[in-house]
Amino acid sequence: MLEYIKQWLAQRRGGAIGDHDPGNLPEPKTVAEQQLSRCRLIVLDLETTGLNASKDEVIAIGAVAIEGGVIHLDDQFDLILRRPELDIRETVLIHGIGPEALTQGHETEDALLYLLEWMNGDPVLAYHSAFDQKFLEKTLKAQLGYARPHIWMDVAELLPALFPNSNVKGRGLDDWADFFGLEVSERHHAAADALVTAELTLIALNKARKNNVKTLKELAEKLHYQRRLKNMQRY
Amino acid sequence: MNFLREHSPFSSMDDTHLAHFAEHATLRFYADEDVVLSPEDGVVKRFYIVKQGRIRGERHNEKEDRAETTFEISQGECFPLAALIGERPTRTLHRASGDTFCLSIEQKAFITLFSESDSFRDFCLRGVSSLLDQVNQRIQSNAMASIGSSNSLDTPLERYALRNPIVCSPDLPVHKAVARMHENNVGSIIITDDNRHPTGIFTLRDLRTMIAEAKGPLDTPIRQVMTRDPCRLPATADAFEAAMLMAEHHFAHLCVVDENDLLIGVVSERDLFSLQRVDLVNLARTIGTATHLRTLVSLRADVSRLVDSMLAHGADSGQVVKIITTLNDVTVRRVLELNLKKDDPGIPFTWLTFGSEGRQEQTLLTDQDNGILFETPDGMTEEQVREKLLPFARKVNDELAECGFTLCKGNIMASNPKLCLSVAEWDDWFIRFIDASTPQNLVYSSIFLDMRAVFGPTDSLHRLLERVLARIRKNALFQKMLAGNALQRKPPLTMFRNFRYLNEEKKHVLDLKRQGLAPFVESIRVFALANGIENANTLERMEQLSKKGVFDAKDANAWKEAYSLIQAIRMRAHQEMLDRDEPLTNYIDPDDLNPLDRRILRESFRQAQRLQQKLEVTYQL
Repeated sequence: MLEYIKQWLAQRRGGAIGDHDPGNLPEPKTVAEQQLSRCRLIVLDLETTGLNASKDEVIAIGAVAIEGGVIHLDDQFDLILRRPELDIRETVLIHGIGPEALTQGHETEDALLYLLEWMNGDPVLAYHSAFDQKFLEKTLKAQLGYARPHIWMDVAELLPALFPNSNVKGRGLDDWADFFGLEVSERHHAAADALVTAELTLIALNKARKNNVKTLKELAEKLHYQRRLKNMQRY
Repeated sequence: MNFLREHSPFSSMDDTHLAHFAEHATLRFYADEDVVLSPEDGVVKRFYIVKQGRIRGERHNEKEDRAETTFEISQGECFPLAALIGERPTRTLHRASGDTFCLSIEQKAFITLFSESDSFRDFCLRGVSSLLDQVNQRIQSNAMASIGSSNSLDTPLERYALRNPIVCSPDLPVHKAVARMHENNVGSIIITDDNRHPTGIFTLRDLRTMIAEAKGPLDTPIRQVMTRDPCRLPATADAFEAAMLMAEHHFAHLCVVDENDLLIGVVSERDLFSLQRVDLVNLARTIGTATHLRTLVSLRADVSRLVDSMLAHGADSGQVVKIITTLNDVTVRRVLELNLKKDDPGIPFTWLTFGSEGRQEQTLLTDQDNGILFETPDGMTEEQVREKLLPFARKVNDELAECGFTLCKGNIMASNPKLCLSVAEWDDWFIRFIDASTPQNLVYSSIFLDMRAVFGPTDSLHRLLERVLARIRKNALFQKMLAGNALQRKPPLTMFRNFRYLNEEKKHVLDLKRQGLAPFVESIRVFALANGIENANTLERMEQLSKKGVFDAKDANAWKEAYSLIQAIRMRAHQEMLDRDEPLTNYIDPDDLNPLDRRILRESFRQAQRLQQKLEVTYQL
């Protein structure tokens, strides 16, 4: 089944990849009065060869789109980048992508161009987004010379901001997934992790609506406030 | 996608249809108490599947002005079916119960799937309750595969007994009757009257006895030597009933009759068991005619072997527990008979059994729960009767222990003077039991309120039970306390519909008896007693509750199935423990089960929750 869908997706994307217009990529959006209940959000997860952004590389990108407050399962992104020259023995154990799967990946440039088109400049959310942002920006810069700023939001910040009293054991994705009883089909698989992050985002957006946080701007302000609160507590 | 593949109807859908679903699906989140669908939304436009969490249906109760839960939809189930197919608004408010994720497709995609996928359409049309049916079909088809034929004990008797039975009139001399049997190569002949009603049966065994005991010349009219009034069953009865009747009476042949008691056929033990290769009747007969205790003791191993092969042949759990109970009954009766022969106390009595044996739900793991009911003969006091009966009962209890029925730790045994009582004393005992309902009494309710006679006259027990039931029906407080007690044991599911394990130490262990079966047995008992049902068997109680309209027929079926499925998984676990020479327990680790069984188990526990909810609503607990 999965194979079938992968094949089908590959066919659908087959046309797109290799036929891009690098000069005419979608304009990244800015934080404004977009209605959260309507706008499209990208939830993304990367797999990398390690944790060090200056030396490690991106292996796979999984992303899911939320639009109108729901996850559209036909609007997903699951790519393995072709990086055969990388030595990936260290992290293969964590995410289960072996050298063979890597070589089957798409040509890096094509894949990244496709990603930018698919993202459509929409806000990007990730769990511990600073990590994903750093890696993705570095990769886009190195491969495409692309350096335009996108909106990034951290789901790891969003959740405690909206559920301040929840008694979550730790600060990891698994902790929140456990807290809400979510099932992760294949942990450390970019697409599966992205889906779980997106599910958590849906929970957060539902709560935001109830707290009368309606626009992207209001949400960004809430996160900003949360960050300041946290910094204050630190001192 | 993996999620879909694990759940009906997607598990049986084509890949292309599944892909069609996935391409059109959205994943939605509803926080606890969020409204998912409401009658005010107008004609239903979407189809939903619960990926995680629960949806409950809510209807407004005009009379009491409050919301009532009408149904629950949990993981892997779909809604709204009727409204979507009928292209109308839903009649029930659908509300999230706990944080819930649903997969959803639009009506258009739904219609495409509905028209293109047979299994999807079947599923939608048959409704959600068909899930258990499906699970059952699968279990049975597995069982069939292992038997390698389509015959099972569920087969109606007419399939076995259609051939023309050999008959004769009552005046025929024995030698002519035997000649007729010989010509047709059969072991029995049915004696009928002019209207083809069976009046007697004569078998080769009867012939052997006749010759061995020199009962008369071979030209004796057959009516003088036949067994009168032979056992009969209607053609609609199934092979299992026939086997049970044979086992109980140690007959090898039964007449099959139509609704007017006209003979249509004969079914023999061989007919039934050539398929099953299970010598139930023979075993019952051997037990029932054993002349020494040590023979009985050695036969217990055969009982275990029999259960093994029945399970291996895919017999239904309800049938297997009944067979075990029947064989246990035969053993108990034989122990009593042997003791009566040796040392008759001279006072007629009824041997009672309580608890699981009373309910006819024994498995291989069993201990004694019994008592004695007697009518005090004129001129004797109850104490004097007890003086005679108690030593006898002690002997029987000890011998039963030798046969493998463990002595009851709580001393619930006939040799206990408190449980060897006259009719009047039992009456008083139950009055105290019901009117002074102490916590201890409630614990005992699972024992004493499931009572049955195994040996001796049954009339006085029947009258006693009638009075007990009448008292319970009048005593609303007792019912309520009983209901409260029945809710003590919750089915082992967490809020998220995962398994709730026994405790922290036994992290992955479920107790199938206490956590799985007990919620059914105890809830059903309350309903049965409150509605005057005398039968103690849980499945039969459910059947009668459904007939009386106390349970909705669909609910009753789902509960019967769920109960039987848990029992089946438990018995299979027992057999596996026996194979490994481990002591029998009721503990299992659900991770050891295959995904289907896990699903069955979870579904069955959910049914237990629904049953308990009905109890809560009925008794406002």
